[in-house]
Amino acid sequence: MRPFLFSKSSAANQALAKKNSTTQYIAGGTNLVDLMKKHIAEPESLVDITSALPAKIEPTAKGIQIGAMVRNTPLANDPTILAKYPLVAKAVLAGASPQIRNMASTGGNLLQRTRCPYFYDVTTPCNKRKPGSGCSAIQGENRMSAIVGYSDQCIAVHPSDLCVALAALDASIKIQDKSGKMQSISFTDFHRLPGTTPERDNNLPANALIHSIEINENAFAKNYAYVKVRDRDSYAFALVSVAAAFNLNGDQIVEARLASGGVAHKPWRWLEAEQYLKGKTANAATFEAAANIAIKDLRPQTHNGFKIPMLKGAIETALQQCLNP
Amino acid sequence: MGFFDEPFDLTTAAEGRVEGIAKVTGGGKYAAEYKVNGLCHAVLVGSTVAAGTILNINTNNAKQVAGVLGIITHLQKPLVPGMANEEKIKEARFGLPIFHTDKIYFKGQPIALVIAETLEDATYAASLVTAEYKEDTKIVDFNGALASVSLTPAGKDRGDIAALNNAAQTIEAEYNIKAEVHNPMEMHATIAEWIADDKLKLFDKNQGVNNVQRTFAKLFNIPVDNIEVISEFVGGGFGSGLRVWPHALACIMAAKLVKRPVKLMLTRPQMFHSVGYRPASWQKIKLGANADGKFVGIHHQAKNGTSFYENFNEGITRVTRLIYHFDNLKAEAATVPLNLSTPTWMRGPGDCTGDFAIESAIDELSYKLNIDPIDLRMKNLALAKHPDSGLPWSTNYINECIEKGAQMINWKDRKATHSQNVNGDWSIGYGMAVGAWNAGRGTASAGIQMQKDGTLTVQTAMTDIGTGTGISMQNIAHESTGISKSKIKIELGNSNLPPAPSQGGSNGLSSIGGAVVAAVAALKLKLAAYAASQNEAYKNATAADILMSDNGISFKTANNQFISFTSLWEKNKLAILEVEASSGPGTERQKYAFCSSAAHFCKVRVNRKTGKVKIERLVTVSDGGKIISEKAAANQMSGAAVGGIGMALMEEQATDERLGTLVGNDFAGYHFPVNADAPIIEVAFINKPDPNINPQGSKGLGEVGIIGTAAAIANAIYNATGKRLRDLPITPDKVLLG
Amino acid sequence: MLGALAFIPRGVKAFYEEVKNFIVPQKEQLPLTVSINKKSYAIKADTRTTLLDLLREDLNLTGAKKGCDHGQCGACTVHIDGERVLSCLTLAAMVPGKEVTTIEGLANGDKLHPMQEAFIECDGFQCGYCTPGQIMSAVACVKEGHTKSVAEIKEFMSGNLCRCGAYNGIVESIQKVAAK
Repeated sequence: MRPFLFSKSSAANQALAKKNSTTQYIAGGTNLVDLMKKHIAEPESLVDITSALPAKIEPTAKGIQIGAMVRNTPLANDPTILAKYPLVAKAVLAGASPQIRNMASTGGNLLQRTRCPYFYDVTTPCNKRKPGSGCSAIQGENRMSAIVGYSDQCIAVHPSDLCVALAALDASIKIQDKSGKMQSISFTDFHRLPGTTPERDNNLPANALIHSIEINENAFAKNYAYVKVRDRDSYAFALVSVAAAFNLNGDQIVEARLASGGVAHKPWRWLEAEQYLKGKTANAATFEAAANIAIKDLRPQTHNGFKIPMLKGAIETALQQCLNP
Repeated sequence: MGFFDEPFDLTTAAEGRVEGIAKVTGGGKYAAEYKVNGLCHAVLVGSTVAAGTILNINTNNAKQVAGVLGIITHLQKPLVPGMANEEKIKEARFGLPIFHTDKIYFKGQPIALVIAETLEDATYAASLVTAEYKEDTKIVDFNGALASVSLTPAGKDRGDIAALNNAAQTIEAEYNIKAEVHNPMEMHATIAEWIADDKLKLFDKNQGVNNVQRTFAKLFNIPVDNIEVISEFVGGGFGSGLRVWPHALACIMAAKLVKRPVKLMLTRPQMFHSVGYRPASWQKIKLGANADGKFVGIHHQAKNGTSFYENFNEGITRVTRLIYHFDNLKAEAATVPLNLSTPTWMRGPGDCTGDFAIESAIDELSYKLNIDPIDLRMKNLALAKHPDSGLPWSTNYINECIEKGAQMINWKDRKATHSQNVNGDWSIGYGMAVGAWNAGRGTASAGIQMQKDGTLTVQTAMTDIGTGTGISMQNIAHESTGISKSKIKIELGNSNLPPAPSQGGSNGLSSIGGAVVAAVAALKLKLAAYAASQNEAYKNATAADILMSDNGISFKTANNQFISFTSLWEKNKLAILEVEASSGPGTERQKYAFCSSAAHFCKVRVNRKTGKVKIERLVTVSDGGKIISEKAAANQMSGAAVGGIGMALMEEQATDERLGTLVGNDFAGYHFPVNADAPIIEVAFINKPDPNINPQGSKGLGEVGIIGTAAAIANAIYNATGKRLRDLPITPDKVLLG
Repeated sequence: MLGALAFIPRGVKAFYEEVKNFIVPQKEQLPLTVSINKKSYAIKADTRTTLLDLLREDLNLTGAKKGCDHGQCGACTVHIDGERVLSCLTLAAMVPGKEVTTIEGLANGDKLHPMQEAFIECDGFQCGYCTPGQIMSAVACVKEGHTKSVAEIKEFMSGNLCRCGAYNGIVESIQKVAAK
């Protein structure tokens, strides 16, 4: 690691006052410390914000608020989450390992960087790590890369499982800036597509931090599923993952949500497929039709054409599992 | 030798391994964990190109880091006499001439070593070293380079494979296996300390301390005895510790440069190009049989990757000559040089790779012939003698392994046609395969120190890399002395102790067992000699006549003439009684052939929608002769099976041809099985002693546990889905697209 | 085309310009008081020092192992305030005020923790290098209640890699302790 100054802030405004272009905030450290060891992140100063932000899960008028410092494990075990937003718990438990889930914060989970192997290898070109150096993955080992929403500058995918569930549930992110002002960003607008600025993962303003996540009350506590296909059974990033949920009237789908990880630079919503599912009978034929809609315009890389049939299968599996979560 | 005279039960007692407490309390010290006064830290800097020449190295920034004590490059380095010139480098056969060349053979090749007061300083300073290169064209893609080399004969032909043209059924297919990396959990590490100008002390991770000692004695032109190598706890090896690697030399050079003890631990990414790997391979098999299932012959062709600075031949076709009668056999092989580091032996080297192809082809043939794969194998096993040498097997119970395994997994539940066992999105299938390994034995020495209270310390230089050497030595010492296990201490992994071969090739216990038995015999004779001064009856006693117990010695006969150790020690004014003995293979090797064998059975579930393969059951039955420590042996076998799951389903060192680089060289990119990937592995042994191989009758187990596992899994996937997948690893994408 | 040569795309001049302008930052040392196995240590640590390196390199507590140093293997697992975490991704500077328990602090004097005993009895290891991490994780796994089935134990122990593949004994050890 490059040498750095270390300090602790006990309040958000205090932390925000310390923020400049060479400062980084640290909470769980599960991604940042790793990036610093690899010389991918080289902050000159580090601010510990674990005591500066809320670490509670609290009810709000419209639903629930998850403090940025809530760790993954308590999030997955929270009785309200399990009762009303079980998809969140399911997605959290599909990610990382128990040790990492004990450390990793909710805010940090949103900010984690891609796991593209070239991003992690500082001896190779990578536009996300070093803008303008080129994308090694496009002509290289791109088995894990994106199949939708990518650009000719970057084909990396977002690694989070939690974020896929939060995207599916239309969560929003409360952001606090230097002036103390709170602002809400819808979850699907938070993460970015790579475009010509792949170095920017999200739309978090430079002088702001994530205060909390809000999820509104919804009808997806009964029929939900999170399916993650990976090279090993646990402790691996997704080849593709699917968060699915719907509510039923008899056997008719009233409203459905469908999102994926491992396919794009951000958690990806399959809006057209969701639309299709509305009002349909919840059966295998419907699920297959919805999956076919989701996969119809995807453009895989040289080594990940398999992600299309795999995604189709994972969507069908997830929708089927929604019937018996 | 009276080893088989006594009825004995050699199973591990509830108290577990001799080193158990050290391992569960964190007390056991691995190479990098010794506290050494004045210790400083070294970190390697790797080349950022895969082929070329170093033009210059810039260490100015690194030198500015406070705490940096020195930097080694090929331009500035302490003298290594054994590498003083080109000729000596060739003669040394050390592999990569680290810091003695400006040539770059692979990306990550060490070009500099930074030594600093703290690990943080050294690591940061190492990141500031830069270099310029004249880059050459490079090639790292094995499959792309395959065609550039031609095959040459691997061993003598048997008969004429033209006979295959008349076979009732033939299989002709190609098999590709990606490179695998040992990745023991402990990263290779060395602490080097020059005690004097010509005296070196090493705490080092390796599988054979005497090999390390010999290597550096030669390179530094100092007597072997001037080098002490301590490797008491070794955090796994799987073959990666059978060679002495450049980083260890780098660490010793660093200690010379800064005149202080230096620690160097490889990083996990460095582990992928510093200590060998199982090379990528290509195979082609043509196999034929008569309608009744009798094999007509086999044509086995194989190529494996190697480096540009050394030639490493895996020996992939060796196993083809071992298991079955093939009256007509032709084997050919070649190595393919690449801009990668040199591969090395990895668990079940060669055989593991070759066996996958043969056992897959036999399975495929069984469906064509409509003969059960077990029956097909039984018809063709070479059970009487080694097909090449013609020597009779000393023991070979591979058929019993198959029978027992079939029973354990309920083979009768298998459908004879593929894709017949379906449950929702999942297809269920059964598969099996066998494996064999030439069972070896080396010459080893063991020492015993005995105290007045009957306490024994049994010693050897051999390392225990987790295989259970320590507990097995204790068991053998207990069985051959009668002294309680709680009174038998084991010391190993230190070059000051009696010399022994490296722990590898499934030879460890086979070699050291005989040495312990020989040392016990020497001890009995020595005790008898002292006893003779008290009791004439002991004068002409042979070791076989003597019984020992916790308290004293006696004769096996009814009139036992008991003498207590206390009186023996007091009468003879003894302090510690010491013996050392050596034992090795003899003429039995001219009379018999020796092999270990195993049969592996697998039940899988395959998800047709996602391509996910779930191993429901994995049964492995092996013939390792007499089982000396049942728990440790079972652990070896189940662990090997887990390794087999990795080989079959996920292990793959990816490369990038355009950049000449390894891709994903860490545990997020290179997957091996986690706990959830493995079922509870079901292990059984034939457990019949081999009366000729060594006194204790045990045959090595480490390799056969993984030879055949991958084929059993692939064969089960075929039975479940009808997809014949011949390229490893079988990741979900291959299942979906297969 | 073998033998074709190419210079790396950076002029020698630019290379040295960059070198000239580079200022090596000084390391920052922090005074810290950390509590490990109920013992308080007043130390001065580099801000870059991880808890794992603090334990292994400075305090001679080498029970926590370095298997990857990047949060990908679990060999460095310790407990902080009773929960299992990875010490390789924990900065020492963030540990003050918390109680760290390592494998060295698990036994009660000479009396082994039941999980340590179970690992010996069930032969839950081979080389022993991942073992302290496995045991720390296993103790937490039981405490968390993730022991209802073999599958659940396996899933909640999958953050601890074992290359020897001693998973049979690890699962058996946990079942044994959970049944008590």
